Amino acid sequence: MQNSAAGNVNRRKFLALGGAGALALSGCGGGGDNKGDGKGDGKGGDGTPGAKETIRIVSSLPRTGSARGQTNTIVNGIQMAVEEYMADPKAKFVIDYKDWDDATAAAGAWDGPTEKANAQKAIADPDVMAYIGPYNSNAAKISMPELNEAGLVQISPAVTWPGLTKKIKGVAPDEPEKYQPFKPKRIHFCRVCTTDDLQGPLAADFAKEELKAKKVYILDDKELYGEGLAKLFKQRCDEIGIQVVGQEGIDTAAVEFGGLMTKIKATSPDLVYFGGTTQSKGGQIAKDLVKSGMTCPMLAPDGCYEQAFIDSAGAANLNDRTYVTIVGLDPSQLTGKGAEFVKKYKEKFKTDPEAFALYGYECAKVVLAAITKVGKKDREEIRKAVLATTKFTEGAVGGAEGWGFDRNGDTTLRQVTVSRVEGGKFVPKKTVTK
Amino acid sequence: MTLRGIAGYWMVAGFLLLAAVPFMQGRYVAIYGTQLIPVLCFAILALGLNVILGYTGLLHLGIAAFFGIGAYVAGILSTSGFPFGASFPVVVVVATLAAAAIGIATTAPTLRLRGDYLALVTLGFGIITVSVIRNLDAITDGTKGLTPVRPNFLPGFDDPVFDKTRPGWKDTWRGYPRLYFLCLAVLAGVVIFLRNLERSRLGRAWVALREDELAASCMGLNPARLKLSAIALGAGLAGLAGALFALSQDGTTEPRAYGFERSMLVICCIILGGLGNRPGVLLGVFILVGYDQIATPMIDNWMQEKKLNPNGKEYLKVSGWRLCIFGVALILMMRFRPEGLLPAARLKRELHPERDEVAGEAAAKLEAEDRGQRTEDRGQRTN
Amino acid sequence: MFESIATALGPEFYQYLLAGLVTGLLYALIALGYTMVYGIIELINFAHGDLFMLGAFFALQLGIWVGAADAKGQATGQSAILAVAVMLVAAPVFCASLNVFVDRAVYKPLRTAPKLAPLVSAIGVSFIFMNAGVFWMGTYDLNFPALVPNTNLTPDWTVAITYQHLMVLLVTIPVMVGLTLFVRYTALGKAMRATAQNPTAAQLMGINVDRVITATFAIGGALAGVAAVVYGLYVNSAGYQMGFQTGLFAFTAAVLGGIGNIPGAVLGGILIGIIEKLGTGYVGDQWRQPLIFAILIVILIFRPNGILGARTREKV
Repeated sequence: MQNSAAGNVNRRKFLALGGAGALALSGCGGGGDNKGDGKGDGKGGDGTPGAKETIRIVSSLPRTGSARGQTNTIVNGIQMAVEEYMADPKAKFVIDYKDWDDATAAAGAWDGPTEKANAQKAIADPDVMAYIGPYNSNAAKISMPELNEAGLVQISPAVTWPGLTKKIKGVAPDEPEKYQPFKPKRIHFCRVCTTDDLQGPLAADFAKEELKAKKVYILDDKELYGEGLAKLFKQRCDEIGIQVVGQEGIDTAAVEFGGLMTKIKATSPDLVYFGGTTQSKGGQIAKDLVKSGMTCPMLAPDGCYEQAFIDSAGAANLNDRTYVTIVGLDPSQLTGKGAEFVKKYKEKFKTDPEAFALYGYECAKVVLAAITKVGKKDREEIRKAVLATTKFTEGAVGGAEGWGFDRNGDTTLRQVTVSRVEGGKFVPKKTVTK
Repeated sequence: MTLRGIAGYWMVAGFLLLAAVPFMQGRYVAIYGTQLIPVLCFAILALGLNVILGYTGLLHLGIAAFFGIGAYVAGILSTSGFPFGASFPVVVVVATLAAAAIGIATTAPTLRLRGDYLALVTLGFGIITVSVIRNLDAITDGTKGLTPVRPNFLPGFDDPVFDKTRPGWKDTWRGYPRLYFLCLAVLAGVVIFLRNLERSRLGRAWVALREDELAASCMGLNPARLKLSAIALGAGLAGLAGALFALSQDGTTEPRAYGFERSMLVICCIILGGLGNRPGVLLGVFILVGYDQIATPMIDNWMQEKKLNPNGKEYLKVSGWRLCIFGVALILMMRFRPEGLLPAARLKRELHPERDEVAGEAAAKLEAEDRGQRTEDRGQRTN
Repeated sequence: MFESIATALGPEFYQYLLAGLVTGLLYALIALGYTMVYGIIELINFAHGDLFMLGAFFALQLGIWVGAADAKGQATGQSAILAVAVMLVAAPVFCASLNVFVDRAVYKPLRTAPKLAPLVSAIGVSFIFMNAGVFWMGTYDLNFPALVPNTNLTPDWTVAITYQHLMVLLVTIPVMVGLTLFVRYTALGKAMRATAQNPTAAQLMGINVDRVITATFAIGGALAGVAAVVYGLYVNSAGYQMGFQTGLFAFTAAVLGGIGNIPGAVLGGILIGIIEKLGTGYVGDQWRQPLIFAILIVILIFRPNGILGARTREKV
């Protein structure tokens, strides 16, 4: 019954639209082919504008939806690093930084096909020399194999799932090999943040030594990051003799957790550990904990280490009772180049930098240093140079001694700082280096 | 050539055009081609929902759950954590059958419900499915998802290794463009199958049920069986789409990908394109998913390139307005063309009776055509 | 009977019941908006949850303007009573106007369109509202000032009853009673019921159906506004995604009670609230959503028109 003449007319339209789509497709293909169209932007080069070659750096982060706040700070950090490079008259290349989104409006969060397409777009563009991102460990699982095959260096400011780079006992036997399909084996992925297998156990140690906790209730958000941390935290608790009185995944779509807090209160723990992030309701958990009348402290990982966590929970609910761990140092502890970065960031963006801004900046710095060192547009050389980074002090987090990548592509800066919320700010209490 | 023949010809042309995509020139063709693979999967999913919502008129708000079931069945059958190690045909068939079976099993007890109560039950079913996938870590690996979904193409044979003849082409059948062709072929098969089904006794019975359940049952049709068969077919197609999707993503990604938002998007696609009309549904999928996953990033990149938004202001980015644009488009569409871009002939006449009355040669011709059509319809109803 | 259940389930049982009742009453307020609109024009208003979200944002904005909260939503300790009063008046007006505006602009032209058209439009409106929420307050959850203190009034009891609990009861119950009286005894209320029963017949009897629909959207919006303020003051947070699950549960409550039925929505809301809290308490927080929907499906299998829904006979 669909085959009346009326339907036929519409089919003609359908084809016309299809044709337009095809034109658009080939159009963008053609557009991409004129190389180095970014040359005109060479505003950073004082000496010989237009003579410099363009190198493109892309980042693929969730820019739509709830992670937007954190990725904004990462992008700010990257932009600062790029601007610093371009301001240097000796710079050999014009850096064209592109901020790509791996989230879609419909999902409101990162999306598999989009992350994959971003990776492929980066691979197909010969000007792209580095891929910064992603933000989510699950997204990394999708883009890593693609980029590994192409040999394009990928450097993440935020992905902390240990299995992406190394074997962890008894978790996934085929990790990390399944993310490295290229034969012979080559490492293309590195990260400037320490993995969770450090943060979780050190948090448990802190709970025992400093907080004198004997009974702990563990919550997690059922995400790769949060649940992984909670498991590692629990393992360590079992080892060092902290009693785990309960462990539970939360419903992150929920608005409040009054019922859950009643349940926790009945077990009267000395500490509540929350494996999760600000977006997975860290603030609300902290708030409801106080509302239920419990007085025990709460401990959370670096997914909550941001001002937004304090704002969403309400400073009054956190002060002097909430501890948050962070890998590396708090921005306020930084000295030398790091302190300089903090100062500049404040001038430029009128707010204090968040921890993730440091990592965004660091990623870009490492890449730019490698580009400077290699001095030519060669993905393989740049990949090698990035992964060979040692004693890196040009960035914000290295301090005087610097840091580098180990053979898996993980940072050698194995440092965890525990901060306490005091007066609506994070105040570093203890730094453990391992 | 009959009109029907010509109409089929346009669809064929569309498919040929899609099939030609991998052979186009340009650096980014391979990327957009790869991005089209999930779009093809969504197209199959939408055609599945179209059977339930378009043909039979059951408002199903949880179609993505079947999509997820298909993906996870594919994951369970082919990832190394499980002992199955099934090959591609097995994966696809089992995923389809499993989704269809679950569709029947979960719908059968609720057939008594009507209209919006049924809609709510399907919505609940969708939410329960996603939560169960998320919470049963032992089987589904929770939010980590099952990876990698890499079944062999045929049982007992090693996968062929292809040449990477063009930039962006992969050497396995699981990569672009082989998987693209495969998905396109499956989609074409589904379209042909549905085209024949529409005209079969079953297809006409569904439409009769949609138009008037009471009258249909008076004519001796069994509504319960018809509804179940529609759900089974729709869910099966969704499962098939899910299995292909998992294959294209090399994993089941996250349970979140199979939630309420996905169901909503698919509903929007088929209503925007033309409820009950295969070409319309396909067009709706290509427009909406294309907008969301291909067009917005493209525009944003272009704006960055041209430095239209030097300070990175939120409200000057297209991605900031994505949801809003999406919403406005839906509203305008429903206001001015509620029958969709390419409506089914019947729906169009229902909504715009005045157009039938417009004089003119074309209209008269149409009218004559319609009259024949109506007689045919009447014939169908009394079937 | 409660005694024996309670000893088996532990002393927290009453606390869950109280929390469930309070949350449930809030769901009920939102559910009323769904159910009334559905009763009159058979539209599942998917944007209602997001209207609730915008109401909460508006209330938060008012709190900041009045000076009861600073720019980040932290309570300043000043003019709390004034702020609550202003919120309770202005937020319902805001939500009602917005709802009426949306009806006029979006749904009204679709009165004769097939049923799916307004539904899809409602999804579109919901997207626009969410986008507006993101532009307004950003993507993070914000603190909503605790203008009503959380003091435990019953420190010696096993159940902790706070001012916040009392506030919810004191606002929602009178509103619901008022609504019931309004629908039952006023001319407009009667017109609403008549229109819900049969719009054509109502029109023939001289009822201005357009006015009735406007009034329904206004009342539904106002209830969402009240719910937004009370919810904000009770859970002390607001975020652009808060409308999704809350709206979903409220919609579920409306259907559970029998969609179109006002006491049904209240009953459904309370049931959902209690199931939710007991589910968290005895099954696990991650299972609360599937549990609610599983119970809903089971109830609907046995009562296909909801708990209080009238058995409708087939129209021939």
